[in-house]
Amino acid sequence: MLPSDRADNERNGSMMDRLTENLVRRLAGHASRRGVLARLGAAMAAVPAFPLLPVTRASAATAPAGKTAKAPSPFAAHAQAKDDMACDYWRYCAIDGYLCTSCGGGIHSCPPGTAPSPTSWIGSCFNPQDGRSYLIAYRDCCGQDACDEVNCLNTDGDQPSYRPMANNDIIWCFGTGTSEMYNCSTAAIIGSTT
Amino acid sequence: MTLSYSGACRNLLGLFLCGLVASTALSPTGAAGAEPVLQTEQSDTISLPSPGPHTILVEDAVYDHNKDGRVYVVDADHGRRLGMVQAAYNANVAQSPDAQHFYVAETTWAHGNRGQRDDLLVQYDPHTLAVLSDEKLPARALVTPKKNDLAINADGSRAYVYVMSPTNGVEVIDTHAHTVEQTVEVPGCALVYPWGNSGFSSLCADGTLANVSIGTDGKASLTHSAPFFVPDRDGVLEHSPGTHDGHMWFITNSGMVYPVKLGATDEIGTAWSLQQGAGMPVAPDARAPFDVAWRPGGWQLSALHASSGELYVLMHRGTFWTHKEDGTEVWVFDTNTHKRVRRIPLPAASPIVGVTQDEHPLMFTSDEAGDLHIFDARSGKLQRTMKHLGTDLIFTVAPGE
Repeated sequence: MLPSDRADNERNGSMMDRLTENLVRRLAGHASRRGVLARLGAAMAAVPAFPLLPVTRASAATAPAGKTAKAPSPFAAHAQAKDDMACDYWRYCAIDGYLCTSCGGGIHSCPPGTAPSPTSWIGSCFNPQDGRSYLIAYRDCCGQDACDEVNCLNTDGDQPSYRPMANNDIIWCFGTGTSEMYNCSTAAIIGSTT
Repeated sequence: MTLSYSGACRNLLGLFLCGLVASTALSPTGAAGAEPVLQTEQSDTISLPSPGPHTILVEDAVYDHNKDGRVYVVDADHGRRLGMVQAAYNANVAQSPDAQHFYVAETTWAHGNRGQRDDLLVQYDPHTLAVLSDEKLPARALVTPKKNDLAINADGSRAYVYVMSPTNGVEVIDTHAHTVEQTVEVPGCALVYPWGNSGFSSLCADGTLANVSIGTDGKASLTHSAPFFVPDRDGVLEHSPGTHDGHMWFITNSGMVYPVKLGATDEIGTAWSLQQGAGMPVAPDARAPFDVAWRPGGWQLSALHASSGELYVLMHRGTFWTHKEDGTEVWVFDTNTHKRVRRIPLPAASPIVGVTQDEHPLMFTSDEAGDLHIFDARSGKLQRTMKHLGTDLIFTVAPGE
Protein backbone atom coordinates (compact mmCIF):
# COMPACT_ATOMS: atom_id res chain seq x y z
CA MET A 1 0.00 0.00 0.00
CA LEU A 2 1.21 3.43 -0.79
CA PRO A 3 1.32 5.42 2.42
CA SER A 4 -0.45 8.08 0.45
CA ASP A 5 -3.41 5.73 0.20
CA ARG A 6 -4.22 6.46 3.78
CA ALA A 7 -7.42 8.37 4.13
CA ASP A 8 -5.91 11.12 6.19
CA ASN A 9 -2.87 11.55 4.02
CA GLU A 10 -4.63 14.13 1.91
CA ARG A 11 -4.69 16.36 4.95
CA ASN A 12 -1.42 15.49 6.59
CA GLY A 13 0.88 14.20 3.85
CA SER A 14 4.45 15.13 4.63
CA MET A 15 6.54 17.35 2.45
CA MET A 16 9.00 14.48 2.02
CA ASP A 17 6.18 12.36 0.55
CA ARG A 18 5.26 15.01 -1.94
CA LEU A 19 8.84 15.75 -2.90
CA THR A 20 9.63 12.09 -3.43
CA GLU A 21 6.49 11.47 -5.46
CA ASN A 22 7.09 14.51 -7.62
CA LEU A 23 10.70 13.49 -8.19
CA VAL A 24 9.76 9.96 -9.24
CA ARG A 25 6.98 11.17 -11.49
CA ARG A 26 9.26 13.71 -13.14
CA LEU A 27 11.88 11.05 -13.65
CA ALA A 28 9.35 8.61 -15.09
CA GLY A 29 7.66 11.20 -17.22
CA HIS A 30 10.65 12.84 -18.82
CA ALA A 31 13.62 10.50 -18.75
CA SER A 32 14.46 8.04 -21.47
CA ARG A 33 14.35 4.29 -20.85
CA ARG A 34 18.14 4.15 -20.61
CA GLY A 35 18.19 7.16 -18.31
CA VAL A 36 15.60 5.67 -16.00
CA LEU A 37 17.44 2.37 -15.86
CA ALA A 38 20.73 4.10 -15.14
CA ARG A 39 19.22 6.10 -12.32
CA LEU A 40 17.35 3.15 -10.90
CA GLY A 41 20.51 1.07 -11.11
CA ALA A 42 22.48 3.72 -9.30
CA ALA A 43 19.80 4.02 -6.65
CA MET A 44 19.64 0.26 -6.13
CA ALA A 45 23.42 0.04 -5.89
CA ALA A 46 23.36 2.79 -3.29
CA VAL A 47 20.63 1.24 -1.16
CA PRO A 48 22.90 -1.07 0.88
CA ALA A 49 25.04 1.94 1.78
CA PHE A 50 22.21 3.45 3.79
CA PRO A 51 21.02 2.15 7.12
CA LEU A 52 17.37 1.06 7.16
CA LEU A 53 15.84 4.07 8.74
CA PRO A 54 12.40 4.03 10.23
CA VAL A 55 10.08 6.20 8.25
CA THR A 56 8.11 8.70 10.23
CA ARG A 57 4.80 9.78 8.83
CA ALA A 58 2.48 12.19 10.47
CA SER A 59 -0.36 10.49 8.69
CA ALA A 60 0.46 6.93 9.69
CA ALA A 61 -1.30 5.09 12.45
CA THR A 62 0.93 6.11 15.30
CA ALA A 63 0.90 4.42 18.67
CA PRO A 64 1.35 6.99 21.41
CA ALA A 65 2.99 5.64 24.54
CA GLY A 66 0.58 3.41 26.41
CA LYS A 67 -2.10 3.57 23.75
CA THR A 68 -2.98 1.27 20.89
CA ALA A 69 -3.52 2.84 17.49
CA LYS A 70 -6.74 2.24 15.65
CA ALA A 71 -6.67 -0.28 12.81
CA PRO A 72 -6.68 1.72 9.56
CA SER A 73 -8.66 -0.76 7.43
CA PRO A 74 -11.18 -3.60 7.73
CA PHE A 75 -8.39 -6.12 7.05
CA ALA A 76 -6.24 -4.64 9.81
CA ALA A 77 -9.17 -4.71 12.21
CA HIS A 78 -9.40 -8.50 11.86
CA ALA A 79 -5.72 -9.38 11.30
CA GLN A 80 -3.80 -11.73 13.59
CA ALA A 81 -0.11 -11.90 14.51
CA LYS A 82 0.42 -15.58 15.30
CA ASP A 83 -0.01 -17.70 12.18
CA ASP A 84 2.02 -16.72 9.11
CA MET A 85 0.53 -19.65 7.18
CA ALA A 86 -2.91 -17.99 7.18
CA CYS A 87 -4.14 -15.27 4.85
CA ASP A 88 -5.24 -13.00 7.70
CA TYR A 89 -1.70 -12.71 9.10
CA TRP A 90 -1.13 -8.99 9.52
CA ARG A 91 1.80 -8.66 7.10
CA TYR A 92 -0.32 -10.07 4.29
CA CYS A 93 -2.64 -7.06 4.08
CA ALA A 94 -1.95 -6.68 0.36
CA ILE A 95 -0.39 -9.99 -0.66
CA ASP A 96 -1.50 -11.75 -3.83
CA GLY A 97 -0.28 -15.29 -4.43
CA TYR A 98 1.12 -18.34 -2.71
CA LEU A 99 2.59 -17.93 0.77
CA CYS A 100 6.29 -18.89 0.80
CA THR A 101 5.77 -19.97 4.42
CA SER A 102 3.68 -22.84 3.00
CA CYS A 103 6.07 -23.64 0.14
CA GLY A 104 9.29 -24.49 1.98
CA GLY A 105 10.37 -20.91 2.55
CA GLY A 106 9.65 -18.40 5.29
CA ILE A 107 8.15 -15.00 5.88
CA HIS A 108 11.23 -13.37 4.32
CA SER A 109 12.93 -16.48 2.87
CA CYS A 110 12.56 -18.21 -0.45
CA PRO A 111 12.17 -21.98 -0.79
CA PRO A 112 15.20 -23.89 -2.04
CA GLY A 113 15.45 -23.88 -5.82
CA THR A 114 14.15 -20.32 -6.09
CA ALA A 115 15.70 -16.87 -5.78
CA PRO A 116 14.33 -13.71 -4.14
CA SER A 117 13.61 -10.75 -6.33
CA PRO A 118 15.74 -7.66 -5.69
CA THR A 119 12.71 -5.58 -6.68
CA SER A 120 9.26 -5.53 -5.16
CA TRP A 121 6.32 -3.37 -4.46
CA ILE A 122 5.80 -1.91 -1.03
CA GLY A 123 2.74 -2.19 1.16
CA SER A 124 1.95 -0.76 4.56
CA CYS A 125 0.38 -3.11 7.10
CA PHE A 126 -0.85 -2.65 10.67
CA ASN A 127 0.48 -4.98 13.35
CA PRO A 128 -2.26 -5.58 15.95
CA GLN A 129 0.32 -6.78 18.47
CA ASP A 130 2.21 -3.49 18.85
CA GLY A 131 -0.25 -1.09 17.24
CA ARG A 132 2.28 0.09 14.67
CA SER A 133 2.22 0.11 10.90
CA TYR A 134 5.17 -1.27 8.97
CA LEU A 135 6.42 -1.01 5.42
CA ILE A 136 6.31 -4.46 3.85
CA ALA A 137 8.24 -5.48 0.73
CA TYR A 138 6.32 -8.18 -1.12
CA ARG A 139 9.30 -9.84 -2.77
CA ASP A 140 8.55 -12.74 -5.06
CA CYS A 141 10.57 -15.96 -5.14
CA CYS A 142 11.36 -16.90 -8.70
CA GLY A 143 12.64 -19.68 -10.93
CA GLN A 144 10.04 -22.43 -10.42
CA ASP A 145 6.40 -22.52 -11.48
CA ALA A 146 3.60 -21.73 -9.02
CA CYS A 147 4.02 -23.31 -5.59
CA ASP A 148 0.28 -24.03 -5.40
CA GLU A 149 -0.06 -24.23 -1.64
CA VAL A 150 -1.79 -21.57 0.50
CA ASN A 151 -3.11 -18.93 -1.88
CA CYS A 152 -4.15 -15.47 -0.63
CA LEU A 153 -5.56 -12.37 -2.26
CA ASN A 154 -5.60 -9.30 -0.03
CA THR A 155 -5.94 -5.85 -1.49
CA ASP A 156 -5.39 -3.14 1.12
CA GLY A 157 -3.99 -0.26 -0.92
CA ASP A 158 -3.61 -2.36 -4.06
CA GLN A 159 -3.75 -0.12 -7.11
CA PRO A 160 -3.87 -0.88 -10.84
CA SER A 161 -0.73 -1.67 -12.83
CA TYR A 162 -0.43 1.95 -13.97
CA ARG A 163 0.78 2.42 -10.39
CA PRO A 164 3.27 -0.47 -10.38
CA MET A 165 4.75 0.51 -7.03
CA ALA A 166 1.38 -0.32 -5.47
CA ASN A 167 0.19 -3.21 -7.66
CA ASN A 168 0.15 -6.81 -6.50
CA ASP A 169 -0.39 -8.42 -9.93
CA ILE A 170 3.02 -7.73 -11.44
CA ILE A 171 5.49 -10.63 -11.44
CA TRP A 172 8.26 -9.08 -9.38
CA CYS A 173 11.07 -11.31 -10.70
CA PHE A 174 13.14 -8.69 -12.49
CA GLY A 175 16.86 -9.30 -12.14
CA THR A 176 16.72 -12.57 -10.23
CA GLY A 177 19.11 -14.38 -12.58
CA THR A 178 16.44 -17.07 -12.96
CA SER A 179 13.62 -17.34 -15.40
CA GLU A 180 11.09 -14.73 -14.37
CA MET A 181 8.76 -17.50 -13.30
CA TYR A 182 6.80 -16.88 -10.10
CA ASN A 183 6.83 -19.44 -7.30
CA CYS A 184 5.61 -17.71 -4.12
CA SER A 185 5.48 -14.43 -2.17
CA THR A 186 7.32 -13.23 0.93
CA ALA A 187 6.49 -10.27 3.15
CA ALA A 188 9.65 -8.72 4.58
CA ILE A 189 9.57 -5.79 6.99
CA ILE A 190 11.68 -2.97 5.61
CA GLY A 191 10.74 -0.21 8.01
CA SER A 192 8.27 1.13 10.50
CA THR A 193 5.92 3.96 9.71
CA THR A 194 5.77 4.97 13.36
CA MET B 1 -30.92 -88.42 -23.80
CA THR B 2 -29.25 -85.18 -23.73
CA LEU B 3 -25.79 -84.32 -24.94
CA SER B 4 -23.58 -81.84 -23.30
CA TYR B 5 -21.99 -79.17 -25.57
CA SER B 6 -18.55 -80.61 -24.96
CA GLY B 7 -19.69 -84.14 -25.71
CA ALA B 8 -21.36 -83.22 -29.03
CA CYS B 9 -18.32 -81.37 -30.24
CA ARG B 10 -15.84 -84.17 -29.84
CA ASN B 11 -15.92 -85.45 -33.44
CA LEU B 12 -15.07 -83.42 -36.60
CA LEU B 13 -18.60 -82.95 -37.93
CA GLY B 14 -19.80 -82.06 -34.49
CA LEU B 15 -17.00 -79.53 -34.16
CA PHE B 16 -18.01 -77.79 -37.44
CA LEU B 17 -21.71 -77.67 -36.51
CA CYS B 18 -21.01 -76.50 -33.00
CA GLY B 19 -18.70 -73.77 -34.28
CA LEU B 20 -21.42 -72.55 -36.63
CA VAL B 21 -23.96 -72.48 -33.81
CA ALA B 22 -21.55 -70.75 -31.50
CA SER B 23 -20.57 -68.05 -34.01
CA THR B 24 -24.24 -67.34 -34.78
CA ALA B 25 -25.12 -67.16 -31.13
CA LEU B 26 -22.27 -64.75 -30.42
CA SER B 27 -23.06 -62.45 -33.34
CA PRO B 28 -24.50 -59.17 -32.04
CA THR B 29 -26.84 -58.97 -35.00
CA GLY B 30 -28.41 -62.27 -34.31
CA ALA B 31 -29.10 -64.99 -36.85
CA ALA B 32 -29.95 -62.74 -39.77
CA GLY B 33 -26.48 -61.21 -40.07
CA ALA B 34 -28.07 -58.35 -42.04
CA GLU B 35 -25.97 -55.55 -40.53
CA PRO B 36 -22.96 -54.62 -42.66
CA VAL B 37 -19.50 -55.11 -41.24
CA LEU B 38 -18.22 -51.81 -39.83
CA GLN B 39 -15.78 -50.16 -42.20
CA THR B 40 -12.20 -49.22 -41.45
CA GLU B 41 -11.64 -45.54 -40.66
CA GLN B 42 -9.09 -42.86 -41.45
CA SER B 43 -8.09 -40.43 -38.71
CA ASP B 44 -8.68 -36.80 -39.48
CA THR B 45 -9.08 -33.42 -37.76
CA ILE B 46 -12.23 -31.40 -37.38
CA SER B 47 -12.36 -28.01 -39.07
CA LEU B 48 -14.67 -25.45 -37.49
CA PRO B 49 -17.14 -23.25 -39.35
CA SER B 50 -16.58 -19.50 -39.26
CA PRO B 51 -17.21 -18.16 -35.76
CA GLY B 52 -20.81 -17.19 -35.14
CA PRO B 53 -21.82 -14.42 -32.77
CA HIS B 54 -22.00 -16.95 -29.93
CA THR B 55 -18.64 -18.63 -30.64
CA ILE B 56 -16.48 -17.28 -27.87
CA LEU B 57 -12.92 -17.63 -26.64
CA VAL B 58 -12.37 -18.32 -22.94
CA GLU B 59 -8.96 -17.92 -21.34
CA ASP B 60 -8.01 -20.29 -18.54
CA ALA B 61 -4.95 -18.95 -16.68
CA VAL B 62 -4.44 -22.20 -14.71
CA TYR B 63 -2.75 -20.28 -11.90
CA ASP B 64 -1.68 -23.37 -9.97
CA HIS B 65 0.62 -24.40 -12.84
CA ASN B 66 0.77 -21.15 -14.62
CA LYS B 67 2.94 -22.06 -17.62
CA ASP B 68 0.14 -24.34 -18.85
CA GLY B 69 -2.52 -21.73 -19.59
CA ARG B 70 -4.90 -22.26 -22.47
CA VAL B 71 -7.66 -20.69 -24.53
CA TYR B 72 -10.85 -22.64 -25.21
CA VAL B 73 -13.13 -22.16 -28.18
CA VAL B 74 -16.71 -22.54 -26.99
CA ASP B 75 -20.06 -22.85 -28.76
CA ALA B 76 -22.13 -20.97 -26.21
CA ASP B 77 -25.44 -21.88 -27.85
CA HIS B 78 -24.94 -25.53 -27.06
CA GLY B 79 -22.48 -25.30 -24.19
CA ARG B 80 -19.87 -27.29 -26.09
CA ARG B 81 -16.13 -26.95 -26.20
CA LEU B 82 -14.96 -26.91 -29.82
CA GLY B 83 -11.21 -26.88 -29.30
CA MET B 84 -8.33 -25.24 -27.47
CA VAL B 85 -4.87 -23.76 -27.94
CA GLN B 86 -2.01 -23.30 -25.51
CA ALA B 87 -1.53 -19.91 -23.87
CA ALA B 88 1.58 -20.09 -21.75
CA TYR B 89 2.39 -18.10 -18.66
CA ASN B 90 0.13 -15.16 -17.96
CA ALA B 91 -0.97 -15.06 -21.57
CA ASN B 92 -3.40 -12.72 -23.27
CA VAL B 93 -5.93 -13.37 -25.99
CA ALA B 94 -7.53 -10.94 -28.44
CA GLN B 95 -9.52 -11.31 -31.63
CA SER B 96 -9.55 -9.34 -34.87
CA PRO B 97 -12.74 -7.26 -35.23
CA ASP B 98 -13.97 -9.50 -38.07
CA ALA B 99 -13.26 -12.63 -35.96
CA GLN B 100 -11.18 -14.07 -38.81
CA HIS B 101 -8.09 -14.41 -36.61
CA PHE B 102 -7.32 -14.50 -32.97
CA TYR B 103 -4.06 -13.81 -31.21
CA VAL B 104 -2.35 -15.18 -28.11
CA ALA B 105 0.55 -13.30 -26.50
CA GLU B 106 2.50 -15.75 -24.37
CA THR B 107 5.88 -16.46 -22.80
CA THR B 108 7.81 -19.72 -22.81
CA TRP B 109 11.22 -20.92 -21.65
CA ALA B 110 13.16 -23.47 -23.69
CA HIS B 111 13.42 -25.96 -20.83
CA GLY B 112 10.16 -25.37 -19.07
CA ASN B 113 11.24 -23.17 -16.17
CA ARG B 114 14.66 -22.24 -17.56
CA GLY B 115 16.61 -21.70 -20.74
CA GLN B 116 15.94 -19.15 -23.43
CA ARG B 117 12.86 -17.02 -22.87
CA ASP B 118 10.60 -16.37 -25.81
CA ASP B 119 7.86 -13.78 -25.81
CA LEU B 120 5.52 -14.57 -28.66
CA LEU B 121 2.51 -13.23 -30.49
CA VAL B 122 0.77 -16.18 -32.10
CA GLN B 123 -1.85 -15.71 -34.80
CA TYR B 124 -4.44 -18.49 -35.12
CA ASP B 125 -6.81 -19.61 -37.84
CA PRO B 126 -10.26 -19.84 -36.18
CA HIS B 127 -11.27 -22.78 -38.42
CA THR B 128 -8.33 -25.12 -37.95
CA LEU B 129 -6.79 -23.53 -34.83
CA ALA B 130 -3.52 -23.78 -36.77
CA VAL B 131 -0.70 -21.36 -36.03
CA LEU B 132 -0.52 -18.87 -38.89
CA SER B 133 2.30 -16.83 -37.43
CA ASP B 134 4.58 -17.22 -34.44
CA GLU B 135 6.00 -13.74 -34.10
CA LYS B 136 8.83 -13.32 -31.63
CA LEU B 137 8.48 -10.16 -29.56
CA PRO B 138 11.22 -8.09 -27.92
CA ALA B 139 9.40 -8.54 -24.56
CA ARG B 140 6.01 -8.50 -22.92
CA ALA B 141 4.81 -7.56 -19.45
CA LEU B 142 4.71 -10.49 -17.04
CA VAL B 143 1.73 -9.75 -14.87
CA THR B 144 -1.44 -11.55 -13.88
CA PRO B 145 -3.12 -11.04 -17.25
CA LYS B 146 -4.94 -7.79 -17.81
CA LYS B 147 -7.17 -7.80 -20.84
CA ASN B 148 -5.62 -4.58 -22.10
CA ASP B 149 -2.08 -5.93 -22.11
CA LEU B 150 -2.93 -6.97 -25.68
CA ALA B 151 -5.20 -5.11 -28.08
CA ILE B 152 -6.06 -5.02 -31.79
CA ASN B 153 -6.78 -1.86 -33.75
CA ALA B 154 -10.11 -1.19 -35.49
CA ASP B 155 -9.25 -2.76 -38.87
CA GLY B 156 -7.16 -5.58 -37.45
CA SER B 157 -3.95 -4.41 -39.13
CA ARG B 158 -2.06 -3.75 -35.91
CA ALA B 159 -1.65 -5.50 -32.60
CA TYR B 160 -0.43 -3.69 -29.50
CA VAL B 161 1.45 -5.49 -26.73
CA TYR B 162 2.13 -3.78 -23.41
CA VAL B 163 5.68 -4.27 -22.09
CA MET B 164 7.17 -3.59 -18.67
CA SER B 165 10.82 -4.46 -18.65
CA PRO B 166 10.70 -2.69 -16.20
CA THR B 167 10.10 0.59 -18.03
CA ASN B 168 6.76 0.97 -19.74
CA GLY B 169 6.12 0.75 -23.46
CA VAL B 170 3.84 -0.61 -26.15
CA GLU B 171 5.05 -2.77 -29.02
CA VAL B 172 3.26 -2.08 -32.30
CA ILE B 173 3.00 -5.15 -34.52
CA ASP B 174 2.00 -5.22 -38.18
CA THR B 175 -0.35 -8.22 -38.31
CA HIS B 176 -0.02 -8.62 -42.09
CA ALA B 177 3.77 -8.39 -42.38
CA HIS B 178 4.22 -10.07 -38.97
CA THR B 179 6.85 -7.58 -37.91
CA VAL B 180 7.30 -5.37 -34.89
CA GLU B 181 7.02 -1.85 -36.30
CA GLN B 182 8.29 -0.13 -33.18
CA THR B 183 8.14 0.08 -29.42
CA VAL B 184 6.57 3.29 -28.16
CA GLU B 185 7.63 4.33 -24.67
CA VAL B 186 4.81 5.45 -22.36
CA PRO B 187 6.72 6.54 -19.24
CA GLY B 188 4.69 6.32 -16.06
CA CYS B 189 1.73 4.74 -17.86
CA ALA B 190 0.42 1.25 -18.57
CA LEU B 191 -1.98 -0.84 -20.69
CA VAL B 192 -3.35 -0.29 -24.19
CA TYR B 193 -6.77 1.11 -25.11
CA PRO B 194 -6.87 1.38 -28.92
CA TRP B 195 -8.78 3.97 -30.87
CA GLY B 196 -9.24 3.75 -34.64
CA ASN B 197 -6.48 2.33 -36.78
CA SER B 198 -3.48 4.33 -35.68
CA GLY B 199 -3.89 5.42 -32.10
CA PHE B 200 -3.97 4.09 -28.58
CA SER B 201 -4.03 5.43 -25.05
CA SER B 202 -2.56 4.25 -21.77
CA LEU B 203 -3.59 5.01 -18.20
CA CYS B 204 -1.02 6.91 -16.15
CA ALA B 205 0.03 7.02 -12.51
CA ASP B 206 -0.86 10.71 -12.19
CA GLY B 207 -4.50 10.23 -13.23
CA THR B 208 -3.99 11.24 -16.86
CA LEU B 209 -4.15 9.43 -20.18
CA ALA B 210 -1.14 9.14 -22.49
CA ASN B 211 -2.33 9.25 -26.10
CA VAL B 212 -0.15 7.90 -28.89
CA SER B 213 -0.83 8.75 -32.53
CA ILE B 214 1.08 6.88 -35.22
CA GLY B 215 1.45 9.04 -38.32
CA THR B 216 1.49 7.86 -41.92
CA ASP B 217 5.27 8.15 -41.74
CA GLY B 218 5.22 5.66 -38.88
CA LYS B 219 6.31 8.21 -36.29
CA ALA B 220 4.59 8.12 -32.92
CA SER B 221 3.61 11.31 -31.14
CA LEU B 222 2.50 11.50 -27.52
CA THR B 223 -0.01 13.79 -25.81
CA HIS B 224 -1.42 13.75 -22.29
CA SER B 225 -4.90 14.51 -21.06
CA ALA B 226 -5.44 16.61 -17.99
CA PRO B 227 -5.75 14.54 -14.79
CA PHE B 228 -9.33 13.33 -14.52
CA PHE B 229 -9.17 10.96 -11.53
CA VAL B 230 -7.24 10.77 -8.26
CA PRO B 231 -5.49 7.38 -8.12
CA ASP B 232 -4.84 7.50 -4.36
CA ARG B 233 -8.48 8.10 -3.57
CA ASP B 234 -10.36 6.32 -6.32
CA GLY B 235 -8.39 4.91 -9.24
CA VAL B 236 -10.02 3.78 -12.46
CA LEU B 237 -10.12 0.02 -12.92
CA GLU B 238 -8.09 -1.60 -15.67
CA HIS B 239 -10.88 -3.81 -16.95
CA SER B 240 -13.11 -0.96 -18.02
CA PRO B 241 -14.85 -1.57 -21.34
CA GLY B 242 -14.91 0.38 -24.58
CA THR B 243 -15.32 0.23 -28.34
CA HIS B 244 -12.87 -0.01 -31.24
CA ASP B 245 -13.33 3.65 -32.05
CA GLY B 246 -12.20 4.65 -28.56
CA HIS B 247 -15.38 5.24 -26.56
CA MET B 248 -14.49 4.15 -23.04
CA TRP B 249 -16.35 3.86 -19.80
CA PHE B 250 -13.67 3.98 -17.09
CA ILE B 251 -15.11 2.61 -13.84
CA THR B 252 -13.47 3.47 -10.50
CA ASN B 253 -13.09 1.43 -7.31
CA SER B 254 -15.99 3.24 -5.68
CA GLY B 255 -18.28 2.94 -8.70
CA MET B 256 -17.94 6.23 -10.55
CA VAL B 257 -17.99 5.99 -14.36
CA TYR B 258 -15.95 8.37 -16.53
CA PRO B 259 -17.13 8.36 -20.15
CA VAL B 260 -14.14 9.20 -22.34
CA LYS B 261 -13.69 9.51 -26.10
CA LEU B 262 -10.05 8.62 -26.61
CA GLY B 263 -7.96 10.46 -29.19
CA ALA B 264 -4.96 12.73 -29.52
CA THR B 265 -7.15 15.13 -27.56
CA ASP B 266 -9.33 13.14 -25.19
CA GLU B 267 -12.91 14.17 -24.57
CA ILE B 268 -13.62 13.43 -20.92
CA GLY B 269 -17.27 13.51 -19.95
CA THR B 270 -18.92 14.11 -16.60
CA ALA B 271 -18.60 11.18 -14.21
CA TRP B 272 -21.73 9.39 -13.02
CA SER B 273 -22.32 6.92 -10.22
CA LEU B 274 -23.36 3.27 -10.57
CA GLN B 275 -25.00 3.40 -7.16
CA GLN B 276 -26.95 6.56 -7.94
CA GLY B 277 -28.07 4.97 -11.20
CA ALA B 278 -29.51 2.20 -9.03
CA GLY B 279 -31.27 4.63 -6.68
CA MET B 280 -28.67 4.40 -3.92
CA PRO B 281 -26.28 6.93 -2.39
CA VAL B 282 -22.87 7.42 -4.02
CA ALA B 283 -20.38 4.97 -2.48
CA PRO B 284 -17.47 6.63 -0.62
CA ASP B 285 -13.85 6.45 -1.81
CA ALA B 286 -10.64 5.52 0.07
CA ARG B 287 -11.20 8.27 2.62
CA ALA B 288 -13.90 6.12 4.24
CA PRO B 289 -12.38 2.63 4.02
CA PHE B 290 -14.82 1.01 6.47
CA ASP B 291 -18.05 2.02 4.73
CA VAL B 292 -19.93 -0.94 3.28
CA ALA B 293 -21.79 -0.44 0.01
CA TRP B 294 -22.53 -2.17 -3.28
CA ARG B 295 -19.30 -1.84 -5.28
CA PRO B 296 -17.82 -3.01 -8.59
CA GLY B 297 -15.27 -5.81 -8.30
CA GLY B 298 -13.73 -8.91 -9.80
CA TRP B 299 -11.31 -9.43 -12.66
CA GLN B 300 -13.03 -8.98 -16.03
CA LEU B 301 -15.50 -6.98 -14.02
CA SER B 302 -17.42 -5.23 -16.78
CA ALA B 303 -18.52 -5.63 -20.38
CA LEU B 304 -20.23 -3.47 -22.95
CA HIS B 305 -22.95 -4.40 -25.41
CA ALA B 306 -21.95 -1.75 -27.91
CA SER B 307 -25.02 -1.46 -30.15
CA SER B 308 -27.47 -1.03 -27.25
CA GLY B 309 -25.06 0.98 -25.09
CA GLU B 310 -25.66 -1.36 -22.16
CA LEU B 311 -22.92 -1.63 -19.56
CA TYR B 312 -22.67 -4.86 -17.53
CA VAL B 313 -20.89 -4.57 -14.17
CA LEU B 314 -20.12 -7.21 -11.53
CA MET B 315 -21.20 -5.91 -8.12
CA HIS B 316 -20.76 -7.08 -4.53
CA ARG B 317 -21.31 -5.61 -1.09
CA GLY B 318 -18.06 -4.65 0.58
CA THR B 319 -15.72 -1.99 1.90
CA PHE B 320 -13.47 0.19 -0.23
CA TRP B 321 -10.45 -2.11 -0.76
CA THR B 322 -12.50 -5.02 -2.11
CA HIS B 323 -12.12 -4.23 -5.80
CA LYS B 324 -10.99 -7.79 -6.65
CA GLU B 325 -13.79 -9.50 -4.80
CA ASP B 326 -16.03 -11.67 -6.98
CA GLY B 327 -19.38 -10.21 -7.95
CA THR B 328 -22.57 -11.70 -6.57
CA GLU B 329 -24.79 -9.79 -9.01
CA VAL B 330 -24.53 -8.23 -12.44
CA TRP B 331 -26.01 -4.77 -12.77
CA VAL B 332 -26.85 -3.58 -16.28
CA PHE B 333 -26.85 0.16 -17.00
CA ASP B 334 -28.02 2.29 -19.87
CA THR B 335 -24.95 4.41 -20.67
CA ASN B 336 -27.17 7.15 -22.05
CA THR B 337 -29.52 7.59 -19.08
CA HIS B 338 -27.01 6.29 -16.47
CA LYS B 339 -29.85 4.27 -14.95
CA ARG B 340 -29.73 0.66 -13.92
CA VAL B 341 -32.04 -1.27 -16.23
CA ARG B 342 -31.56 -4.82 -14.93
CA ARG B 343 -30.23 -6.54 -11.84
CA ILE B 344 -29.14 -10.17 -12.29
CA PRO B 345 -28.35 -12.27 -9.18
CA LEU B 346 -25.74 -14.93 -9.98
CA PRO B 347 -25.87 -18.61 -9.08
CA ALA B 348 -22.28 -18.33 -7.84
CA ALA B 349 -19.98 -15.38 -7.18
CA SER B 350 -18.00 -14.62 -10.34
CA PRO B 351 -14.70 -12.93 -11.20
CA ILE B 352 -15.84 -12.27 -14.79
CA VAL B 353 -18.72 -10.98 -16.83
CA GLY B 354 -18.79 -11.09 -20.62
CA VAL B 355 -21.41 -10.40 -23.26
CA THR B 356 -21.78 -11.16 -26.97
CA GLN B 357 -22.38 -8.32 -29.41
CA ASP B 358 -25.37 -9.55 -31.44
CA GLU B 359 -29.07 -8.70 -31.17
CA HIS B 360 -29.76 -11.72 -28.98
CA PRO B 361 -26.80 -11.41 -26.63
CA LEU B 362 -25.59 -14.03 -24.21
CA MET B 363 -23.93 -13.15 -20.92
CA PHE B 364 -21.19 -15.20 -19.27
CA THR B 365 -19.95 -15.59 -15.73
CA SER B 366 -17.69 -18.17 -14.04
CA ASP B 367 -17.01 -19.32 -10.50
CA GLU B 368 -14.38 -20.89 -8.24
CA ALA B 369 -15.07 -24.36 -9.63
CA GLY B 370 -14.18 -23.27 -13.17
CA ASP B 371 -17.78 -23.52 -14.41
CA LEU B 372 -18.96 -21.28 -17.22
CA HIS B 373 -22.50 -19.99 -16.74
CA ILE B 374 -24.36 -18.88 -19.86
CA PHE B 375 -27.33 -16.50 -19.56
CA ASP B 376 -29.79 -14.81 -21.85
CA ALA B 377 -28.38 -11.31 -21.38
CA ARG B 378 -31.72 -9.59 -21.97
CA SER B 379 -33.77 -11.60 -19.50
CA GLY B 380 -30.97 -12.54 -17.13
CA LYS B 381 -32.19 -16.13 -17.22
CA LEU B 382 -29.55 -18.83 -16.82
CA GLN B 383 -29.62 -21.01 -19.95
CA ARG B 384 -26.92 -23.56 -19.20
CA THR B 385 -23.78 -24.23 -17.21
CA MET B 386 -20.64 -25.86 -18.57
CA LYS B 387 -19.34 -27.71 -15.53
CA HIS B 388 -15.63 -27.31 -14.92
CA LEU B 389 -14.79 -25.92 -18.32
CA GLY B 390 -11.40 -25.07 -16.84
CA THR B 391 -9.58 -24.05 -13.69
CA ASP B 392 -9.26 -20.26 -13.63
CA LEU B 393 -11.53 -18.71 -16.25
CA ILE B 394 -10.41 -15.09 -16.39
CA PHE B 395 -11.48 -13.70 -19.79
CA THR B 396 -14.12 -14.20 -22.42
CA VAL B 397 -13.76 -12.75 -25.92
CA ALA B 398 -16.83 -12.50 -28.18
CA PRO B 399 -16.74 -11.62 -31.89
CA GLY B 400 -16.84 -7.89 -32.47
CA GLU B 401 -16.28 -6.82 -28.89
